[in-house]
Amino acid sequence: MMSQKNNFPPTLNFEIPAMSEQTIPTARTIYRPTATVQGPGGDKVSIEVRDLNFYYGEKQALHGINISILEHEVTAFIGPSGCGKSTLLRCMNRMNDLIDGTRAEGQILIEGQNIYDKDVDVIELRKHVGMVFQKSNPFPMSIYDNITYGLKIQGRKKKRELDEVVEKSLRGAALWDEAKDRLHESGLSLSGGQQQRLCIARAIAVEPDILLMDEPCSALDPIATARVEELIHELKKTFTIVIVTHNMQQAARVSDKTAFFYLGNLIEFNQTEQIFLNPSDAQTEAYVSGRFG
Amino acid sequence: MKRFFHSELEQFRSNLLLMGERCIEIVRLSTRALLEGNVDFAKAVLTKDDAIDELEVMIDAEAIRYISMRAPVAKDLRLLTVGMKAAHDLERVGDEATSIARRTLKLDAALPVKDFLGIPAMTQITLEMLRDSIDSFIEGEADKALAIPLRDKEVDRLNKQNYETLARLITQDTARINSYLDLMFISKSIERVADHASNISEEVVYLYKAEDIRHSSLVKEAKAQLREGEEPEE
Amino acid sequence: MSESKAHIFRHNPRSWTHRKERIAMCFLRMMTYFIIFCASYLFLDIAIKGAGTVFSSSFPFVNVEFLSGSPQTLHVFEWQGEKLEMSDAQFRAWATANAIDAAGFKTDTYAYSGGGILPAIIGTVLLVIGSMIIALVLGILSAIYLSEYARDTKFIRAIRLSIVNLAGVPSIVYGLFGMGLFVLYLGWGVSLIAGWFTLAFMVLPIIITASEQSLRAVPKGFREGALALGATKWQTIRTNVLPYALPGILTSSVLSVARVAGETAPIMFTAAYAMRDKMPWEADSVTGFFTQGVMALPYHIYVVSSKIPQNEYTARMQYGTALVFMIVVASIALLSIYLRQRARERYRW
Repeated sequence: MMSQKNNFPPTLNFEIPAMSEQTIPTARTIYRPTATVQGPGGDKVSIEVRDLNFYYGEKQALHGINISILEHEVTAFIGPSGCGKSTLLRCMNRMNDLIDGTRAEGQILIEGQNIYDKDVDVIELRKHVGMVFQKSNPFPMSIYDNITYGLKIQGRKKKRELDEVVEKSLRGAALWDEAKDRLHESGLSLSGGQQQRLCIARAIAVEPDILLMDEPCSALDPIATARVEELIHELKKTFTIVIVTHNMQQAARVSDKTAFFYLGNLIEFNQTEQIFLNPSDAQTEAYVSGRFG
Repeated sequence: MKRFFHSELEQFRSNLLLMGERCIEIVRLSTRALLEGNVDFAKAVLTKDDAIDELEVMIDAEAIRYISMRAPVAKDLRLLTVGMKAAHDLERVGDEATSIARRTLKLDAALPVKDFLGIPAMTQITLEMLRDSIDSFIEGEADKALAIPLRDKEVDRLNKQNYETLARLITQDTARINSYLDLMFISKSIERVADHASNISEEVVYLYKAEDIRHSSLVKEAKAQLREGEEPEE
Repeated sequence: MSESKAHIFRHNPRSWTHRKERIAMCFLRMMTYFIIFCASYLFLDIAIKGAGTVFSSSFPFVNVEFLSGSPQTLHVFEWQGEKLEMSDAQFRAWATANAIDAAGFKTDTYAYSGGGILPAIIGTVLLVIGSMIIALVLGILSAIYLSEYARDTKFIRAIRLSIVNLAGVPSIVYGLFGMGLFVLYLGWGVSLIAGWFTLAFMVLPIIITASEQSLRAVPKGFREGALALGATKWQTIRTNVLPYALPGILTSSVLSVARVAGETAPIMFTAAYAMRDKMPWEADSVTGFFTQGVMALPYHIYVVSSKIPQNEYTARMQYGTALVFMIVVASIALLSIYLRQRARERYRW
């Protein structure tokens, strides 16, 4: 003990380090929703749905939906099957028009234009609002032709231009390295996850502003799902993304905002963190915690 | 494959380390104030505890957020739960350091604290334990962490010795009874810091080995050996 | 006791369930074999008896005259102790060479039993190709309308039902309809084009139904994918639906090919001649090509089997024609299968 006393304090030889209080973030900034309310694109509204009712024949599928989707954010739609989330998504580029006997009331404003107005050109709308489907659906043609399909039907046929778009889109979809040496092989020769990324590349080739994704990972294995999720995280820098998913963890991982639907009603729409940590609605809480029904 | 949200774990980890460093710093500062009778150091300690408390809140919030949003498993999950526990221990360490500083300010300045008690030795062992437990966390060395709880015995012994010394002094020197009582609490606080350091080291073992060694026969046997005067292996 | 007892999983061939199973399987197998036996007998009978007419034992191993000539009267006569059989042209050449008066020379003659059947082969091929082109174009276009554009109204359902029912109408009715509409009302006469349209109308129900099914079988994803990229409906169908449906359409049209080639009744009044010396390409003008009547294999079989006195020489002709007919139908069917296979390899999903 004495010997310790003599060389004491050997490790206490120090100066008082300057403590910079401002480098320590305060805990409150994490929880207050207002702190993270804005996506990277600020608060510009990309899609605004106003009092939307939607009917399949006599059956009402959506009841008075009001929702504002911000630019450059990922917005996830969750809810049990048949809750109307896919219906709402497909309203946003009017894919529901393809189904007989459907009818929409209310408005969906994109760039300030109600897309359900009579004088809206659906073809132009769909160039502006791209879509990725649940089941990856590469056309049975080469990877190159898949990506240029959207441009070719618009009459753009210059080879140099197409080549550029193919590279840009494949890079954007994180598929370039895997596909650059096999551009002229069939799109169906790719693996399931690659096929889905090919579909994303095909959708972004026509340079839309908004990407709608209808359960894009439901048929993929976890690794492929992870890649697509990473891609979504990258793509939101360029696009506004709306994603329908059955996988709540996926919604939690990729989205900035989450909307919970039930029986055709929008129950809760909030910051994803808020939905998963502290939902304000009892139904939302029951659903995200797996206590539903 | 590295996912975009894995950087949040890095952030979590570095916050934990920051908290550890702050705690070592605050304990050093408070014990130095005590041993050197430096009032400035003691006052400095009192201003630094809040930052540590905020770090604890933040670490907890981050862990909860990560667990509910990212569904971590295995080592990631252990890191988060261990992080929450360690943050709690560290926060307690900060509180003990504050308590030492506060009592130091009240002590009779003429009392030669470092000469008549085992406090310098206790402090040294405790600080080394704290340092080593944080280092083993940084370096991922579970074996190093495994040996740390054994050193706690010596601190306990010194604390008990201090207790006896002070109990005797209280009866002899009634004029300084308040200072002796404060010193008793200070000694106890240092001993508590050593306890938290061993808790942290146990948590580090759990983090890297997924083995819960708390209250295990392994540690108990080693401590029993120590009590019999045999040197433990490390 | 318990050891000697068989395990409950053990197969017991004597159980009633197993017996029933075996009886059912045997019965089904017998039925299948019976059908195979009947079909084989039919084909072998025709092949064996027809082979004598179509093939020959010396180079070039096929009966050139039969495959390249027109039907002629067969002359059978004795000459210097030898029994000779000659078609009309050969007989005349022979008579000239031997300085005999052909008209005064006494022979046994058998109508249509000499010469060949080339005009009938050509006629059948022309009828099949023309009518299939018409039927496929009309059929696919209406199928596209029905499956892609038409809404599911009562009217459309009624149309669909009538199409299905038309498939069951006897071919003679189509023949009479063709005669009434094309031959008489439109005044095309007995002609290739009248035959084309009549045959096309006969197989249209099959083609439309099959095409509609093939179009519907194209995954919805291809349509939605294209539409979501800003394609119009027609662009989508043209580039991303029809190409994938074609293999299926061609598959089902194989059946129609066989039917078009094989039916006698529809062409009896509209396109077929019992006898025509001229080859179709010997028509005097371009329109003449379409307005000429042609010979056809099934009608020729019908003529030689029922319109002339039967004897061993006509029987040879019947079997030979039937064998050639089978080979022609099989070749056309194989060609369709080949085309379908190629289309399928291009678009596989």
